[in-house]
Amino acid sequence: MKIAVIIKQTPDTETVVKINDAGNDIVGTGVKYVMSPYCEFAVEEALRTKEKLGGEVVVVSLGPDRVLETIRTALAMGCDRAIHLKDPAYEGGDGQATAKALAAALKTVSPDIVFAGKQAIDGDQSQVAVRVAELAGLAQATIVTALEIAADGKTAKATRRSEGGGEVVELKLPALISCEKGLNEPRYASLPGIMKAKKKEVKELKPAELGLEGQVGAAGAKAKRVKLLPLAERKAGRRIEAETPEAAAAELVRLLREEAKVL
Amino acid sequence: MFELGDQHRMVQDMFRQWCERELLPKVPSLEKGEPPYDLMRQMLDAFGMRDALRASLKKRLSKMGDDGKPLASGDAKGKEGDELESAMRDPLISFLLVKEMSRISPGYATSFGVSTGLAGFNVMAKGTKRQIEKYGIPLVTLDKVGSWCLSEPGSGSDAFGSMRTTAKKSADGGYVLNGTKTFITNGPFADVFVLYAKLDKGDGNPNKAVHAFILERGMTGLSTGQPFDKMGMQDSPTSEVFLEDVHIPAENLLGEREKDPDAARDDTRQNLGHERSGIPAMCLGIIERCYELSMKYAKERVQFGRPILDFQAVQLKLANMYIHYQNVWNGVMRLAWAAREGKPDLAFTCAQKVYCAKAAVEVAMDSIQIHGGYGYMREYHVEKLARDAKMLELGAGTTDINLLQVVRLERERLT
Repeated sequence: MKIAVIIKQTPDTETVVKINDAGNDIVGTGVKYVMSPYCEFAVEEALRTKEKLGGEVVVVSLGPDRVLETIRTALAMGCDRAIHLKDPAYEGGDGQATAKALAAALKTVSPDIVFAGKQAIDGDQSQVAVRVAELAGLAQATIVTALEIAADGKTAKATRRSEGGGEVVELKLPALISCEKGLNEPRYASLPGIMKAKKKEVKELKPAELGLEGQVGAAGAKAKRVKLLPLAERKAGRRIEAETPEAAAAELVRLLREEAKVL
Repeated sequence: MFELGDQHRMVQDMFRQWCERELLPKVPSLEKGEPPYDLMRQMLDAFGMRDALRASLKKRLSKMGDDGKPLASGDAKGKEGDELESAMRDPLISFLLVKEMSRISPGYATSFGVSTGLAGFNVMAKGTKRQIEKYGIPLVTLDKVGSWCLSEPGSGSDAFGSMRTTAKKSADGGYVLNGTKTFITNGPFADVFVLYAKLDKGDGNPNKAVHAFILERGMTGLSTGQPFDKMGMQDSPTSEVFLEDVHIPAENLLGEREKDPDAARDDTRQNLGHERSGIPAMCLGIIERCYELSMKYAKERVQFGRPILDFQAVQLKLANMYIHYQNVWNGVMRLAWAAREGKPDLAFTCAQKVYCAKAAVEVAMDSIQIHGGYGYMREYHVEKLARDAKMLELGAGTTDINLLQVVRLERERLT
């Protein structure tokens, strides 16, 4: 079975990010980058699929030099080889431009199944996975919390999370699965894995090699981020002044009901 | 030599990720006395190290004579291409693991280090092939929990002179052990006890050689006390070990060969050096974490209308932490280099142990000071690190004893 997994490197959730002077991007220096947590579920599911049905897991990621570290992590977890879309021309793209590049890279793999995170934790747009499926002509199930692939590798049954409940869908492979928390417990990169990772192939592909010159990155984007808005400062709390504890409690209940509207 | 390469950095990241996600949430229950050993096994499994260790050690066993020494000389460095094999023997990787565990819980690191590093290492280094197979490998892979028993109620700094535990030759060629050991890490739960006792040959000679014996839980006459209630290292179970006429066969003498007093003493000293070389990596973990948490807190905490990091009193403390942090890193790197090159330097190890332990206590205490009242609260991690740090000035030889050893060795070297 040919298994592919799309991953993205994002700032660590604990990193305090700063907005640049132009106001449209974060300051990159001092930021710790990690594999986006939903992509970890995708890598884990890809590896489990390989362990069950055999085959090969190919990691695909787009981004600058620093992304290689995250690719190596995926290889250390057990993926077999990688494709790194690395070129200045890939930078500054929107979901569509990025998806176009990833879909073209996947074509060189011809996967039976593709795993991706349901969203990246930086932009939170949830666009790339669905667009890749569309562009690559794959069936897809998004926000998947459980997956069963038939032994013959022809169909799959995916459980999706939906508002307040869930649904089960059957898919014909090839398909793309976007992964949600709860699907699995991602493994850690292992010591033997790290030792092997260095020798695994990481193939770089330029836009021209994908026949996408002038169509990816900023040149291929249809939407452009113009501004980043910082989180609103938290307002100070309010102190209830009252003569007696009973009166203070009554006032608190009134405020919770009428102003906060939580009761 | 002064920087981690790509692979070492990845290994460190892997250890850190696990310790922050899996170990940190368990610290409160471990500090209340929950045994840490299942978690340790899960840890080694998560890193793929348990199976790898087992396979690698079994392979080594097959190339070993009955005395436990490698049959063919010259393959000590491992073969080219066997990167995993050399990673398993890389002291820097062990130090990184100890550092990362100690960032979260020095107590957990102690318990782990004593079982695998002290008890396990000792049997691997000094045991016969039979002992390595039966005890050494299970200890290193944590299939068995180990303890290392030297201190006694009346014998601490004067470990050999005041030692009262004895092993008497029995008629069947074995030994009968009597005595009490104390402050024994893993004592309450250990399966295997690597235990030091004076060999009494019954010839009335007062100069009795200290030997190491391998004991197992379940042997008649061997019992362990309740876990001690300690200032820190609460997640490292510690107790007394009692021996009342414990009969063991001759094959449980570590190395299966009786030695004269001088050779036996040198042997034990060597093990103490090994024990001490692990302490700087523990200190590094404590210092690194305290330094990071202090910087973070000083940036976030606002008093007098500005972050307290703006005040020079706080800046000077952080600068002092930085100096210790860098010095300790350099020392750990040198110890790793010395171990890898097979150039142990006992004076340097003892001096480094003293310096790093003092630095860890100082940095942890300053970190509490920067955190103010919050630093005194258990919820803020520096409180635990400070409690645990103090033990490092006491265990593996007190600061004073290590300093005396430095001078003793230097005095010999400089004549």
